[in-house]
Amino acid sequence: MPEKDESQAKPREEPRIGVYVCNCGGNIGNVVACDNVARVLGKLPNVVTSHSHMFMCSDPGQNLIIDDIKEKGVNRVVIGACSLFLHEQTFRSAVERAGLNPYLYYHVGLREQVSWVHHDNPKEATDKATRMMMGGIAKARYMRPLEPVRLDAGKHALVIGGGVAGLRSALDIARRGLQVTLIEKSHYLGGHMAQWERVFPTHQKARVLLKELIERVLAEPNITIHTGAQVVRTQGYVGNFQIKIRQEPRGVHGAFPNEQEAVAVCPIKQRREFDYGLSTRKAIYRAYNGCVPESLVIDWENCTKCGECVKVAPEGMINLNEEAREFDLKVGAVVLATGFKPYEPLYGEMGWKEFPEVITLAQLHRLLDDEGPSDGKFYWNGHPVRDVAIIHCVGSRQIEGVHRPQPDGNVNNYCSRVCCTASMSMAALIRQKAPDAKVYDIYEDIRTYGRGHEDYYRNAGKEQVTFLRYFAEEIPEVMRADESADRPLLVKVKDHLTWGETIELPVDLVVLATGMMPNPVDDLIGMFKVSPGNDRFLLEVHPKLRPVETAVNGIVLAGTAQGPMNIQESCAAAGAAASKVAALLIQGEVELEPFVAVVDPERCNGSGKCIEHCPQEEALTLETFTENGRTFQRAVVTPANCNGCGVCAGVCPNRAIDVAGWRLDEFEAMVEAITDEIPAMEGAI
Amino acid sequence: MTNTLKIDALVVGGGIAGMQASLDLADQGYQVALVEKNPSVGGMMAGLSKVFPTLDCCSCITTPKMSAVAHHANISLMTYSEVQSVMGNEGDYQVRVMKKPRYVIEDECSGCRSCEMVCPLDLPDYDNEYGRGAHRVIYVPFSTAVPQKALIDIDNCIYCGKCLKACTTNAIDFAQQPEYVNIETTSIVLATGYKTTPYDAKKEYGGGRLRNVVHGMMVERLLAPTGAYGRQLRPSDGRQPDNIAYVQCAGSRDLTLGVDYCSRVCCMYAIKQAMLLAGALPMADITIYYMDIRAFGKGYEQFYENAKAMGIQFVKGKVARITEDENQNPILRVELIDQNSRVVERKHDLAVLSVGMLPGFDPNSMYGVPVDKDGFIKAPNPNISPTLTMREGIFATGTATGPMDIVDSIITAGAVAAEAAAYIQSHNGHRQLVAEQTERSVTHA
Repeated sequence: MPEKDESQAKPREEPRIGVYVCNCGGNIGNVVACDNVARVLGKLPNVVTSHSHMFMCSDPGQNLIIDDIKEKGVNRVVIGACSLFLHEQTFRSAVERAGLNPYLYYHVGLREQVSWVHHDNPKEATDKATRMMMGGIAKARYMRPLEPVRLDAGKHALVIGGGVAGLRSALDIARRGLQVTLIEKSHYLGGHMAQWERVFPTHQKARVLLKELIERVLAEPNITIHTGAQVVRTQGYVGNFQIKIRQEPRGVHGAFPNEQEAVAVCPIKQRREFDYGLSTRKAIYRAYNGCVPESLVIDWENCTKCGECVKVAPEGMINLNEEAREFDLKVGAVVLATGFKPYEPLYGEMGWKEFPEVITLAQLHRLLDDEGPSDGKFYWNGHPVRDVAIIHCVGSRQIEGVHRPQPDGNVNNYCSRVCCTASMSMAALIRQKAPDAKVYDIYEDIRTYGRGHEDYYRNAGKEQVTFLRYFAEEIPEVMRADESADRPLLVKVKDHLTWGETIELPVDLVVLATGMMPNPVDDLIGMFKVSPGNDRFLLEVHPKLRPVETAVNGIVLAGTAQGPMNIQESCAAAGAAASKVAALLIQGEVELEPFVAVVDPERCNGSGKCIEHCPQEEALTLETFTENGRTFQRAVVTPANCNGCGVCAGVCPNRAIDVAGWRLDEFEAMVEAITDEIPAMEGAI
Repeated sequence: MTNTLKIDALVVGGGIAGMQASLDLADQGYQVALVEKNPSVGGMMAGLSKVFPTLDCCSCITTPKMSAVAHHANISLMTYSEVQSVMGNEGDYQVRVMKKPRYVIEDECSGCRSCEMVCPLDLPDYDNEYGRGAHRVIYVPFSTAVPQKALIDIDNCIYCGKCLKACTTNAIDFAQQPEYVNIETTSIVLATGYKTTPYDAKKEYGGGRLRNVVHGMMVERLLAPTGAYGRQLRPSDGRQPDNIAYVQCAGSRDLTLGVDYCSRVCCMYAIKQAMLLAGALPMADITIYYMDIRAFGKGYEQFYENAKAMGIQFVKGKVARITEDENQNPILRVELIDQNSRVVERKHDLAVLSVGMLPGFDPNSMYGVPVDKDGFIKAPNPNISPTLTMREGIFATGTATGPMDIVDSIITAGAVAAEAAAYIQSHNGHRQLVAEQTERSVTHA
């Protein structure tokens, strides 16, 4: 049966409106004359009480509303304050605590929409604030109580990304008794952390630490892991996401004794991503020794299917014709832990690609790794490296107009957070491995901010690392030294620690401390409808109020997908994300906003226009009814699938469909009120 | 009278980290007790003006959380209370909490502040205003305090009885005694926060001696809408300053003070204050003397760039000494590293010391949780499990684990909630977790 809209049928109670104008600690009050606005609005019909307050969101502010509801019989609440993104929930819960339906409150944005944008014109801003509040009051007269849509939620979360943040959040969610599926795009777990030599501030071996974490994840019965897997399609909403996953085949099924032989016979040679190209691998390969899962994998992009490896491997171990598989998941929430990629310098940027002796900090980690391409010997091109220059802020803290933009036109104007301490740590390690080496550290600011990080800076000083300071406007130059010189490169830097003198440093190797960029996840951004920020990292709702949540309910962020972080910070963010997922799913039920389409059965004649234009799948259907022997068709809403966009209300020829909480009569009243005369007031504004 | 409370998590400290950790645990259905030693929750954050990098008014972020911890069905809030002893073992701690007497019956006080109106004595407000403002002997701590309940500074009360007569709810009780609550808890979360470096710690800077040398928290109060003055002025003569200096690392990265670490927040709060001051005093010159500008967080570098674009001067150099002239203008002796390393003396009319963070509390004797060499709680596995302590079942978050800003405190609060929740889950997996079950297990013994 189509729902009968009772709120329209029954005579409505007389609206008794409470009006509250927040000063926002001066954010609004320094521009908008809040006291005057409150006084003017107090004269409007149905307004029972009208206040201005320094902080409406504080407990005393909330109590003001609660007392008015209880004592003055206020049954509609209109609050002019910051953006509703900040405090709609705060005020809804206050209204609800007073025993009123939380949807009988309307929020007018006086900060973002008025005081911040009109700070140069207080008089007009006050006028605009008054009008917007008048609109809110007009709407309030028409507001009806609403109930949120309650739905069963799957006690199951999907974590996208198998780096340290993804692993940590999967573990934390699973430990709360929820099911977790972890998918990782590559064929092994651990992400970039596996590639680091050591981690600060503990100076532990990164892979040892990682292995411990992976073992805990593997031991957790609630976690299912799929490597080589990606999301290809999503549908649904919080509590009930339907997700299609595509898993690329591995091609190799488990370990076998003569793996080395199978790899040796492969004729294909490729750049080894794990070593950032410092070594090569075959088309059948293992990312690194000790990786999880451990078995070899086929690089399908480059494999020619020549079959040489199949010939030497035991039968059935390698299948070059294995197909990708797709499967569906139903999850209640999704953690995006899609991580970062190191900034790739542009050709010629401080000698990158122009001179082979210019490498990145990530490559230096591989070079100094005992299990790396040179077995940890500090060699380059077969020769021991003597003198090194490390240049900071390559691809970080860039300034438009100074730094060359990337192909997409962007510059990275943020700090990448980790490179300073990582550079200090590596500089000291170079000195340990090559005690005679001169290490020059060319920086803008040393940002060893974290706990124990400053020790690395001091230690680098003790290790006689030479510091030179450049300004972003005077980027150091890397050039080829004269043939006669005994160092292949020359770094020219205007050093502000030595009276702004230009200093030339002959070196064997230049290390660019490249920053972090978000992994390109445009496909996921599109599928989940989350937003990237100006820095192109994924955007949280609010850095302090909801720091790991996205604007899409049920989609949370963990780790460097959100911005540069070190391992510690990634794990903390992963824990915070897990807390949110647990709070959301542990009850097995989620609440959705009630702002969904409602059909007026009296007016709907089954024209089907709304269904034709509805952009959502399965939100509206035409159903056949028989009443008193008469058969007719009518639109029916499935609230869970409706996103309240209101397209249907616009196309219905009979005004038979509306969005609850945002009905046409409310809009009309608002428009009228906003354009109405402002009531006169003695004493004037 | 002693109450007994059986809970899943005891959170110690009601600053932003403790509040967020409480909310994140309570939202998962766990029973939480939040103990705060001050008469209001909110911690250091409640006293700030606006917050970087969004320039949101700080109260807009913190007061709703203060309200939320007070009203959450799963949180028992105990303000003006202190942990007296911790007994028991991993997963089964018995904690004794003392509720200090407010001399005002909390359940009766309506927060109307009639008592404040009639109280004849003003006291300097050291707790919230650094001695710059005043409160009465009977007072509600501050306008957005939670709970909005008065308390009496009994040591300074002259028992004139005016408040007794003025109180409409008969809430005043001069004979009030401490109350004790016995808490049985599975886990403990330490969110005991930080304190700022005393601004007279570095004698060369003259903090506490030179009148126009102030510290960052004082400026926060000048900038805050709830502050004592509501405008910017310098202490010696109440004049608006127009040439302000910020002295960075005044208490951080300074081996002479035994503080070898960076306090993480001072660069950003100095930049923020400079921007707010530039807005309030458009003609003022503002100079920030720094060693390194550490604008490392999300959106921070752009914030720094905006400050430069606004005309705020950034000068690399560690201030050596501050003296004053006959008009009490601070004179900074500083090496201008960017300008040929000249050593100069520069006159300003107000100097702000960007004081850093020191550990607020050593939990070792009470909780058996050791601290590290920097005095903050030691983390056995700081990278993977940053909220663990050396003792099972006891976790730490926020600035109790090292200097950090509000964003990072909130993140680690979420992390500690996840860590503690997993621990509670493994310990009392059988316990029913139903958030709607609001019936508290409070028994009177």
